[in-house]
Amino acid sequence: MSDTLTRSPGRSDRPAVRPPRAAGLLNRSPAVRVAIKRVLQAVPVVWGATFITFCLMNLLPGNAAVALLGDDATPEQVAALSARLNLDEPFLVRYLQWLGNALTGDLGNSLQNNEPVTAILGRALPVSLELVVLAFALALLVAVPTAVVAAKRPGGFADRIGMQISMFGLSVPNFVFALVLVLVFAVGLRVLPAVGYVPIGQGLGPNLRAMILPATAIAFALFCEYTRVLRADIVDQMLREDYITTARAKGVGSWQVLVRHALRNSVFSLLTIVGLQFGALIGSTVIIEQMFGLPGMGQGLLQGINNRDIPVVQAYVVVMACFVVGANLVTDLLYAVLDPRIRHGRPAA
Amino acid sequence: MTTQIQPDAAARTGDPDAPLLTIENLEVTFRTRDAPVHAVRGVDLTVYAGQTLAVIGESGSGKTVTSRAVMGLLPRTASVRGSIRLGDRQMVGLGEKELRKCLGREVGMIFQDPARSLNPTMRIGSQLTEAIRVHLPLDRRQARERAVELLAMVRLPAPARRFHEYPHQLSGGMRQRVMIAIALACQPRLLIADEATTALDVTTQAQIMDLLLDLQQRFAMGLVLISHDMGLAASYADQVAVMYAGRVVERAPTREMIAHVRMPYTRALLDATPRLERPPHAPLPVISGRPPDLRALDPGCAFAPRCSRVRERCRQERPELAEHQPRHEWACFFPCADDTIPGEDER
Amino acid sequence: MAVQPPDLATVRPGADPAADPLDAGPRPRGRTGRRARRRTGKGLWIPGTILGLIVLACFVWPLVYRDLPSPTAGSLLQANLPPFSPGHLLGTDPLGNDIVSRLLHGGRVSLEVGLTSNAIGLLLGGSLGMFAAFRGGWLETVTMRLLDMLIAFPSLVLVLVVSTYLTPSKLNVIWAISFFSIPTFARLARAATLRLREQVYVVAARLAGARDSAILLRHIAPNVLPQLLTYSLLWVAAAIAIEASLSFLGFGVPASEPSWGMMISRGQAYISSNPELVLIPSACLFLTIVCLNTLGDALRARTGAP
Repeated sequence: MSDTLTRSPGRSDRPAVRPPRAAGLLNRSPAVRVAIKRVLQAVPVVWGATFITFCLMNLLPGNAAVALLGDDATPEQVAALSARLNLDEPFLVRYLQWLGNALTGDLGNSLQNNEPVTAILGRALPVSLELVVLAFALALLVAVPTAVVAAKRPGGFADRIGMQISMFGLSVPNFVFALVLVLVFAVGLRVLPAVGYVPIGQGLGPNLRAMILPATAIAFALFCEYTRVLRADIVDQMLREDYITTARAKGVGSWQVLVRHALRNSVFSLLTIVGLQFGALIGSTVIIEQMFGLPGMGQGLLQGINNRDIPVVQAYVVVMACFVVGANLVTDLLYAVLDPRIRHGRPAA
Repeated sequence: MTTQIQPDAAARTGDPDAPLLTIENLEVTFRTRDAPVHAVRGVDLTVYAGQTLAVIGESGSGKTVTSRAVMGLLPRTASVRGSIRLGDRQMVGLGEKELRKCLGREVGMIFQDPARSLNPTMRIGSQLTEAIRVHLPLDRRQARERAVELLAMVRLPAPARRFHEYPHQLSGGMRQRVMIAIALACQPRLLIADEATTALDVTTQAQIMDLLLDLQQRFAMGLVLISHDMGLAASYADQVAVMYAGRVVERAPTREMIAHVRMPYTRALLDATPRLERPPHAPLPVISGRPPDLRALDPGCAFAPRCSRVRERCRQERPELAEHQPRHEWACFFPCADDTIPGEDER
Repeated sequence: MAVQPPDLATVRPGADPAADPLDAGPRPRGRTGRRARRRTGKGLWIPGTILGLIVLACFVWPLVYRDLPSPTAGSLLQANLPPFSPGHLLGTDPLGNDIVSRLLHGGRVSLEVGLTSNAIGLLLGGSLGMFAAFRGGWLETVTMRLLDMLIAFPSLVLVLVVSTYLTPSKLNVIWAISFFSIPTFARLARAATLRLREQVYVVAARLAGARDSAILLRHIAPNVLPQLLTYSLLWVAAAIAIEASLSFLGFGVPASEPSWGMMISRGQAYISSNPELVLIPSACLFLTIVCLNTLGDALRARTGAP
């Protein structure tokens, strides 16, 4: 089992049906072809995301300078700020300027304190990433065994309990669940801090102590969804797929059939969901970071919005959108690397 | 290359004349949303070592359910009554652990669609060594050697290379050969082939059947061919049992059956087989009507509504399977006579 | 988002359980027997009844029971009354506002926002998706690419940005959430239309010379709509959660209109002394969403919609 998923390319096995010969990069191997195609498809989406952000920030009714300064600002103040924001230029010119700068790594400076936005991002990104990765790890670690146990006997005790919990979990907004966690672990048991962030530089232990509640708050909804999807997929395979019957007919034990045959194939559908959510999760950290006082991207975005700090908000939104697109891209690529059917190309049978 | 695969199956059975598989009065019922479906209604079958039994019938006749019952592979909604003895082991009501020891070791099975019956994300080799190592105390390397031998045995070209490939890289016939290798990995005494050639094209079909018969001779296995194809049974089986609506309705040695069909249903099945001797563009006789609803059968013969020879008695009373002629059993009040047979010799 | 768009992979009972269960081996259904039917029934009427009660309480009770205290004009003299105080069934908050009336008002906000943004998504997104898929070609490609880009945004971020730039009001929250519901419904409608477009009766209608609009209205829409409606229950649940999140962050409806998210947010400060200030609106929010989700799931299982 161990050698099947991590095979290096270029051994003697070749696809049964070779793709027709054509010149160029696109004919390397099915996996490479898929990869190149996906990267090329992602570029316009990222570009579009930046454009939509820019539109949102600039085309909404009202003068941004007025919105920034408030209604009682003098016309001189408005004019000065408009000049500073280049608001007098046509919209497209401003967008192209911004895009050009962004491509060279310059996302502008904060209106609040003139700090480069890239520096602000550089501080916030690791916090959010740690939070999200931790949440994913927690969710998957619990969801996979739960789903397998539930799928062992569909309709059985473990299955019903698991499905009820996950239905409830999917219905709790994460800030509500976070509050319950705070109520229990910080207010009631007083074992974990309710707010505050400890950088990882000050030791992994304190850092994790500060991160565990927010990560759990995010992980719970993920756990519920993964459990449901994975369980449904495994149950479906156990009922419908002939290779499961084959495995049983070999005399393979029922747990082994579940794990070696059904779970293995379910991993692919799980992977898709995980990938699609990784990007979206960056967004859902907004509320959790705010609640637990973590200086991540979400908090930065909220501060930017409160301060009407347009370059900061713009940068955050673009980065988050890129995360979504990037996560989808990586999912597709992983799929191509891991799934042997894509890796070797499908037979033209 | 030292061969680990020896034709030792005959030696394993103490008494070569004792039946390998004995099914007695098997009944299978499925619980469903509304009425229970009584899929198998009292089936008796016997298979001896080295013998090929063909079980023939339409979809829904209970042939597949019977074979799955032997393997204990029915879903939880099924309840099985009666007796299935494999050698001297009673398979009905066997615990999961005991059953698992039997599957693959005593009885192997191949399925209809080789594209679906192999796990698409596992290498051929892993699927094959899995079958070997479940039952035999071999280490990785030995299991791998045996697996390659098995692949060679089923005449898969370049077996050592195929070992590392995935199912989708093989053709349909090659996949079915792999399935046979998996089923025979631990040299079971009985092999059940459930529509094993239905999904293949005709030439591949013949190759696979020849391979199966060859291996059966070599290992003196009992072979059960589950099929809807009367022609296949006629060409390859020693004994034919025809099933309809969950019951065996006619059973005889193949030659006897082909030469002297009694049951009108078997007659209809035979006539529905395409044959080269038929004049071109002649319409193929088909069996009109549909298989009966197994939830609500009438008291009479289940085939009566579709039978061309039906009389009033058939609707009132159900004919039992009985040995009306030596070694030829049928369940019909008004069997066909010999003279109604158009094509005499099938072989 | 805590409330995910519903998973599309739950096991459905087969379309026709009576159709020859023995063909090519037994193919049993997800759940079996009478228990399954009874459970689907329960899954429909229990959450349905609770939802009905919630709607009645939020919209009808204030009309019938005129003496309900105002949700915002509380007096500080009556602050922090415990539950079951005379005149204040669930007590008052630290500003002296009656909790019951705030709950009812908040429920109205949640339901209004959820239902309206859902209706906008259903109408605009649904017709957009149907039209794009029916026409096909570059129109479809461009529309769908644009919607993909919208979906690429984390929903809460998008809603935050939109609602900040629009002045805070219920209507603007609705528009902001619709920004996200439109592409979701458009995708769903497109997928359903693509399946229908090749159906024999649609092709036949086209060959018979029916106008496009007639085919869309008479053949496609009636078949796409039930699927969208089933999905919209789940979407209302998601929209209510988004609204609560927005209000929790202070970007939702204005402070003059109490909402559940805002109640939770305000109660956060008193979580150690008066946890019920957080727990009561949380429970209402949870109950509403869980009922919508259960009902949506049960309906989906019953109709066999994807």
